[in-house]
Amino acid sequence: MMAEVSVNSTPREARALPSDLKQVGVVAKYDVMKYLRSRRLLGMLIIEAIVLIAITVLLATSSNPKTADGVVGQYAGFATILIVIGATLFGGDAIVSEYQGRTGYLLFPNPIKKVSIIIGKFISAVAAMVLILVIYYAIALVAGLVMGNGFSTLGLASLGLAILYGISALAVAFLISSFMKGTAGSLILTFALFFFVLDIISSIMGQLGGIKPWFLLNFAGSSLSYVTTDPFPVDSVETLDIGGGQSFTFYSFYPDIGLSIAVMVAYAVVALVLAYLIFRRREMSA
Amino acid sequence: MGDPIVIDRLTKDFDGFRAVDDLSLTVRQGSFLGFLGPNGAGKTTTIKIMTNLLAASGGSAVLNGIDVVQHPKEALAQVGAVVETPEFYPYLTPNETLAYLGEIRGMTREDISRRTKEVLETVKMTEWADKRIGKFSKGMKQRVAIAQAMLHEPSVIILDEPTSGLDPRGMYEVREILNELSKHDYTIFMSSHLLNEVQEVCSDVALINRGRLLRSGSVEELLEQASVKRIEVRTKQQMSGELLNSISKLEGVQELRASGENQFMFSLTGKDEEQAQMLLRLQSLGLNVVSYKESGLALESLYMSLIKDSR
Repeated sequence: MMAEVSVNSTPREARALPSDLKQVGVVAKYDVMKYLRSRRLLGMLIIEAIVLIAITVLLATSSNPKTADGVVGQYAGFATILIVIGATLFGGDAIVSEYQGRTGYLLFPNPIKKVSIIIGKFISAVAAMVLILVIYYAIALVAGLVMGNGFSTLGLASLGLAILYGISALAVAFLISSFMKGTAGSLILTFALFFFVLDIISSIMGQLGGIKPWFLLNFAGSSLSYVTTDPFPVDSVETLDIGGGQSFTFYSFYPDIGLSIAVMVAYAVVALVLAYLIFRRREMSA
Repeated sequence: MGDPIVIDRLTKDFDGFRAVDDLSLTVRQGSFLGFLGPNGAGKTTTIKIMTNLLAASGGSAVLNGIDVVQHPKEALAQVGAVVETPEFYPYLTPNETLAYLGEIRGMTREDISRRTKEVLETVKMTEWADKRIGKFSKGMKQRVAIAQAMLHEPSVIILDEPTSGLDPRGMYEVREILNELSKHDYTIFMSSHLLNEVQEVCSDVALINRGRLLRSGSVEELLEQASVKRIEVRTKQQMSGELLNSISKLEGVQELRASGENQFMFSLTGKDEEQAQMLLRLQSLGLNVVSYKESGLALESLYMSLIKDSR
């Protein structure tokens, strides 16, 4: 026996649509559930645990004298890898999956603006990234207390920069996800971009070309590692005589903290706005 | 209150190809409209524009008085839709999926809980309510899709070929749900190319081809206009070439073809009177007619003739 379809027990007209902001919260809530259940967050925590154990064991077995900032700095050096993996897992397919996975056919015909969808998804991705980084730095700071006999305030600054780098990397990942046609391609491109493409570009520009790549996101993001170094390293140029009247010039560039913050904020804002504009125009045509 | 769906001069171009061409159509309150057309006619494109999945190149689609092209959020407030065969978030259960969509639509927790039970019962998915959708069959997903379209008690339900891709049992179950929906206070817009489905459940029909509206009206009206019938005849004697030649010369016989040793089919333009006269003429040729009947659905005949004319 089929159930009766009840009609108008709550009058249709009486139900007001929630605000865009409230819908952002709804999307974020259910997207967090995605991370929890799809095992991406779990996988990320496992990777984090492996990195933390490896660094801790190496530091604990090293006989070199240690300071709290130095210890945290060792951990911070690997935070960028976690950020790259996190941006890939949490943002690399955030938008494209709605198209390739056809879940857009379920979500988009609802009375919700695409701006609410993208912001909701972005907030959940940022929440996952922040969770990963806070756990990582909490353990790094504790390690600094134990092995370096002090609290690393520069470590807190590094955490702040790491979160900012994480947010901007996620924004770029969302941008890639907004125009890519396939989930796998989007994930690979995001990972490759942050893992080596940007590094290669900044190396060519900086070390060979003598151009300080302050405008590249990975260069700005590397500030999270240098910020724990006291004194802060300064740019340098060294010329090496290689014989025969020829010389080779080496350039060493270090990010300026203030400028790096501005660059990361700019990447986050511009990439996210572009991602939204592309997402808004993108159609469910296939 | 005005008509719940008003499509006016709607056009959609894809890289030089016009999928929807100046389409205008009005759907009256409380009707169940079958949106018919062959594959590639523009049915899904029209529905995608109506549900904000595609942007229109021109014209408007007004739902409950609000243009969905200009104000999609407001226009879709009282609309439930199943477009193509949607996929679900595999990590959510039907209960959670409906809660997600209900919250997006501003339903209270109590409303969501009550309606979830009702709609899952309607689509016979109650026992699967707490199982993750990832492993559901296509038919089960389609039933959950219909459930989510009904969840918020919309005034308009838009369905895009809801039985497409389902096995016979799945098709039967979805048709049963459609029959149930037709008894209630919804305006339903359903695309299909299954004529029997439309004739069975719909009150109104709109026929399109190549993005253009060919005909629309109530099923009864259109059936009344369906003057071309396909007639199937079985005789006691075997059909010879000579007999078939004689039949083909009878007034009103078109597209004659043998369909068996003692069977043949032909098209006949006319109504009951012409059909009765034709039987007499066949008998006058000495045929021992065992059965003489319309083949297929009247709507199919109209559909085929309109599609043929529009080519």
